[in-house]
Amino acid sequence: MKIILPDKTCRTQTITKMTVGELLQDLGINPVEVLVSLNGMLVVEDARVEDGDEVRIYRITHGG
Amino acid sequence: MPAVYHDRSARRHLCRDHFIAAVESRVAETIRSRQMIVPDDHVGIGLSGGKDSTALLMLLSRVLPSIGRVRLTALTVDEGIHGYREDTIRSADRLARDYGIDHISVSFSELFGKTLDAFLVGREHEACTICGVLRRKALAVAAKQAGVTKLATGHNLDDEAQSVLMNVLRGDLPRLVRDPGSASQGWFIPRVKPLMYVAEKELAVYLMLHGAWPDLPECPYAVHALRGEVRTLLATLEQRHPGTMQHLLASKAQIEKRCGRVSGAGPVRQCTKCGDPCSGEICQLCLLKKRLGM
Repeated sequence: MKIILPDKTCRTQTITKMTVGELLQDLGINPVEVLVSLNGMLVVEDARVEDGDEVRIYRITHGG
Repeated sequence: MPAVYHDRSARRHLCRDHFIAAVESRVAETIRSRQMIVPDDHVGIGLSGGKDSTALLMLLSRVLPSIGRVRLTALTVDEGIHGYREDTIRSADRLARDYGIDHISVSFSELFGKTLDAFLVGREHEACTICGVLRRKALAVAAKQAGVTKLATGHNLDDEAQSVLMNVLRGDLPRLVRDPGSASQGWFIPRVKPLMYVAEKELAVYLMLHGAWPDLPECPYAVHALRGEVRTLLATLEQRHPGTMQHLLASKAQIEKRCGRVSGAGPVRQCTKCGDPCSGEICQLCLLKKRLGM
């Protein structure tokens, strides 16, 4: 699975199956503060991710 | 249709169409129930080009036709924040053009002689306080130039909940119940916040669904602000206890009900230095100018 973090850095992670919420928890990210797209589609925390997926995380706070 | 948003406090998942309808109807209801905007108003939108003001412009354009004939003018303040504001201002220009509305821009440089960056050298920890006072004046100047009857800002539920908690933490209860929507006998242009019951995350989802998500950097001075700490604290509480931010606004409403919403800390007076309306002898802007040696 390819993960694109809010600072636009990428990391690759091998997983079996997990939810977006569990992935965010592993990364120490509060779901209230981010949006997540899975293979280009906006998804909610209980969406399931698998190996081969691309997950992108957007931080929603810009300020000002 | 797949879910695009999980409303954790209402315990429901929403698809794209139902999510968009829910947000738009909440904004329309907020405007109607509080009579924020009425037919024939000329509304100035504080348009920084960031996500909140972009969503405000999009949502007002969608819901105002159901309220009546209302004119919109975009008002942009260029504080002069290098590496941050240039992109949002380009975005604001493009939005105003795309929506076919008038657009007035003012800058700290032209109004106060320097950029915010220049004012903040060695005073970075005061960024939000200094910017807030100067920005308020700049927006008032732009609103006056445009001749608007109301000034709408993109403050969302998260901003409002953070402000409630910050006022409590600072022991500033008068500010908690102050009514910025009041014209105070014509001294001020009433300020309205049509997005006050829409969460920051909902606005982000709304923009993303419309392909209008502005992928912009965060304000470089945000790290110095008490608001940043309060934001993280509240986001953690909201995650653990969904509805926390709504409850804070409900608490504020109950306090207002007991105290009565007040239009200011006291009777409106005129600043002895510049003549602007204020609550004391000298307005906040003149006090700040003196402190900054302007």
